Order: sequence, then C-alpha cells, then structure tokens
Amino acid sequence: MAEATILIEDLPVKDPNSKAKLITISGQLDESNVDTKAKEIYQLLETTQGKLSFIFDLAGLDYMNSKSIGYLTDWYGKITERGGKVLIAHAKPNIKDILQVVGLTQLIQMFESLDEAKTLILGATPQNVSAPAPGAQPAAPVPPQQTETFKLN
Amino acid sequence: MLMENQNEKPTKISITLPGNAYFMSGIRDFTLTLIKNTTNFAEKWAFRLQSVVDELCNNAIEYGSSENESILVTFIHKKEEYIEITVEDTGTGKHKTTAAEMNKLLEDRKNENYKFTGIRGRGLAKIVAEWTDEIEFTDKKEGGLTVRVRKYLKDPRYKSGLPESTPTHLVLNV
Repeated sequence: MAEATILIEDLPVKDPNSKAKLITISGQLDESNVDTKAKEIYQLLETTQGKLSFIFDLAGLDYMNSKSIGYLTDWYGKITERGGKVLIAHAKPNIKDILQVVGLTQLIQMFESLDEAKTLILGATPQNVSAPAPGAQPAAPVPPQQTETFKLN
Repeated sequence: MLMENQNEKPTKISITLPGNAYFMSGIRDFTLTLIKNTTNFAEKWAFRLQSVVDELCNNAIEYGSSENESILVTFIHKKEEYIEITVEDTGTGKHKTTAAEMNKLLEDRKNENYKFTGIRGRGLAKIVAEWTDEIEFTDKKEGGLTVRVRKYLKDPRYKSGLPESTPTHLVLNV
C-alpha cells in the first residue's frame, strides 16, 4: 500500500475575512489511499467558513493518479466558488507533467518556490510564475516574466 | 514471472496481481525500473508509462476483476522499437464493460468538448490515450477484457520517446 501524508498549516493573511492554508502532501497518492486522504481536505473545507485559499506544497509528492487529480479539480471548484485561490508550489517534473496532460495547469497556477506562492496569497507581486496556458483564467493577474536579451554589435 | 530474451526477440514479462490496489505501488516501481534500466525511452516517458500502467490496472481492478480474482499485466519490449503493455481482467468485476463499450467511452471522452465533471474518468482519455500511440480493447473468449497499449520509441508518426534535445547555447539576437 502506498504511503502518503498530508500536513495542514494556517498561513497568516492580512484580510481578516480570509483564511489560507498551506497543505503539504508527500509520498504517493494512488487508488489505495487517495479516498481516505481526500477526506481530510473535504473536512477542512467544511469546517472553515468564508473565503479560503489553499497552497499545495508538492515538493515531497512522488506520484499522483487520475483520481487524485479529480479531487484536486473538485477542491479548486469549491475554493474558487468561495472567492479563494488554489496554488501549487514545488511540484516535481513528473507531477507537473501529469497535471499538464489533464489540463489542470490551465486552471491552477504553478510556482517553483513556496515563497512565490505565499507572496501571491498575501497580495504582493510574485516573480517566476509558471503561467497557465493560453485561454486559461488564472486566479489573479500575473505580470509577464521579465526576460533579458543579449545583443551583439 | 516469465522472461524471454534472445537477441532480437522482444523481452516479455508477465505479472499476476491480486484484484485490489494494495500492490499497485509495487507494479509502479517495477514499471519505472524496467523502462529506465532496460529501454532507451527518456526518463520522462518512464514516469509517463508508469502512470499508464497504474491507470490501466486501476480500471481492471475497479471494473473487470472481483477482489478475489486477479489481473494480468504483460510488458513486451522490442529493443529500439516499442514497449507494449497489456492488462487483462477476468470479467468478474461489478462494473464489467465490453470492448465496444470501452471504445465508445474513450471516443466520447477524447472529444475536446467533453466535460469531465466527476472525480473519476480522466485516466483513460487524458493519460493513457495521450501518452501511448496505440490502444486496443479486446473481449476475451473466457470472459473479461484485454487492454493493449503500445508506445513507440521513435516512430516518426508519433511523439518521440527519446530524450528531448537540450540546447547547449543561447541564440543571440543580433
């Protein structure tokens, strides 16, 4: 049976009417454990009132199956209905790849670092955002990445 | 476990698993190791095919075989050409489906206007179909379903399984 752990922490937000949670998922989410683990998140959604945002720190997540992506999509819908944001930070390349192939990166913004995701939740401007695909509707406006061009004379 | 390996002949490995998800992490580890260590597929494709195997096995367990029955997973690797994976169930599951029903379900879900609204349903159309070059469903004479998928290493008709070329220099704007 695959092992997975979910840690939930409060994030300090300035807006007194909002709440934000850092959800750290590690291990492997598969058919043997995902239904049980998902209940922890649904319980959090039920017990937290008002505007709520989630940052998923996936640095320790090695595998996720299609059902866990289905749950993530459902949580995204529930959170955005309440005016909140869902962000993903630190995902490994294979996790980014599977989120991309199912189209979830068109909905959920991905960040290379946790600090960048936290910055967006706290209302400041992040850098190095992995922008959603064309046509996507990100949770918040994202400025274009600054690029440098070298020119030879 | 059955293994064949004679020069140019494909390598064939068959694994029988119980009809529950308990051992799925083991088959995923095996798939990753097999593809990384014995094929020339890029590491990215090892992870992708790991997901393909997991999704196919989950479907077989969920729909095709009861918990007391088993599923059969077979890997066939033709060096420098392809890897083929088949997953067979026994047709004893609570929600068994026919090959014709699976073909229709896949076609419906591959439609770009199809809306995935539930928790389930993305595995076959969004993962298995996207990351393989061939997919075929066959009804077994003795009951049950066989799903066969194949990914080519470098067939020009499909997305290459080889490592992507990585630029080693900057293109300067002059």
